[in-house]
Amino acid sequence: MTTKPPTQPLIRPCTLVYLMLVTLTIVTWATARMGLSGLSLSLVVLGIALFKGHLLADWFMGLRFITGWWRWVIAVWLLLPGGLIALGFVLSYRG
Amino acid sequence: MNGSDSIATRAIPEPVATRDEVLRYPPGDLALWIFILAELLVFGVFFAAYAFTRLNHVELFNTYQATLNRDAALINTLALLTSSYFVMRGVVAIRENDSRLCVRWLWAAIGMGAVFLVVKTVEYAHHFGEGISLSTNTFYMFYLSLTFFHFMHVILGMVILVAVALKAGRGGYSRTEHTGVESGASYWHMVDLVWLILFPLVYVMR
Repeated sequence: MTTKPPTQPLIRPCTLVYLMLVTLTIVTWATARMGLSGLSLSLVVLGIALFKGHLLADWFMGLRFITGWWRWVIAVWLLLPGGLIALGFVLSYRG
Repeated sequence: MNGSDSIATRAIPEPVATRDEVLRYPPGDLALWIFILAELLVFGVFFAAYAFTRLNHVELFNTYQATLNRDAALINTLALLTSSYFVMRGVVAIRENDSRLCVRWLWAAIGMGAVFLVVKTVEYAHHFGEGISLSTNTFYMFYLSLTFFHFMHVILGMVILVAVALKAGRGGYSRTEHTGVESGASYWHMVDLVWLILFPLVYVMR
């Protein structure tokens, strides 16, 4: 009796994450090319950027395999400047 | 091929993305991670300063942001994302003890980094050719200083990757000892991470 080697999808999960990052980047660029603007759109674009950063930290930097404080260090970094940027844009629209 | 195998699957080595082990520290040298956090802190302050300075110059920021080349920014974002993906594959390769494949991924990543530098240099040449400088206005002061600060980090990241690729080419890393590859990769991912925020902030959000 032989043991079957572990099987895996033809496209690695990390490659799917890369393709998702590319897609989200093109969506962000397209909003700018279409001349779209406004507070809601800016916050959505910022949210996409923060999500992309989290994907990069988890899948490319390998933080998804880490436990404890180091697991969330990049997520915390994304939220702090991200929150301040969001606050700056909200205040700019409130005049 | 075993008859029970699906056409869409085949046996390939385990990538980093499916490792079962759980670690306490991030990949690479912990000292380098402290350096990475310090770098991220500086960029974070820079980003917040941009957003709050913009509060008092909304019209100016929106007007001059429209003069930037967003197509070039798209190419640069894709170049950095692709290079990060290549570096990650290089780390996977060395964990599987495949030095030659690791070296190929690393040089491919360095190539994408070079694409970023060329495109950004062309952008700078265009701006400087129009007489734009740090003192032109507040928006260009932020745009030029932020992007050039990041540009310098791309150069440093490429120098690190070249050193790692050369050592890997000499057989300096293995499945059991590849901290240098992981450290170089972590720094390069940090450079990409910063650009992922910089790109929408400076080129898109208005």
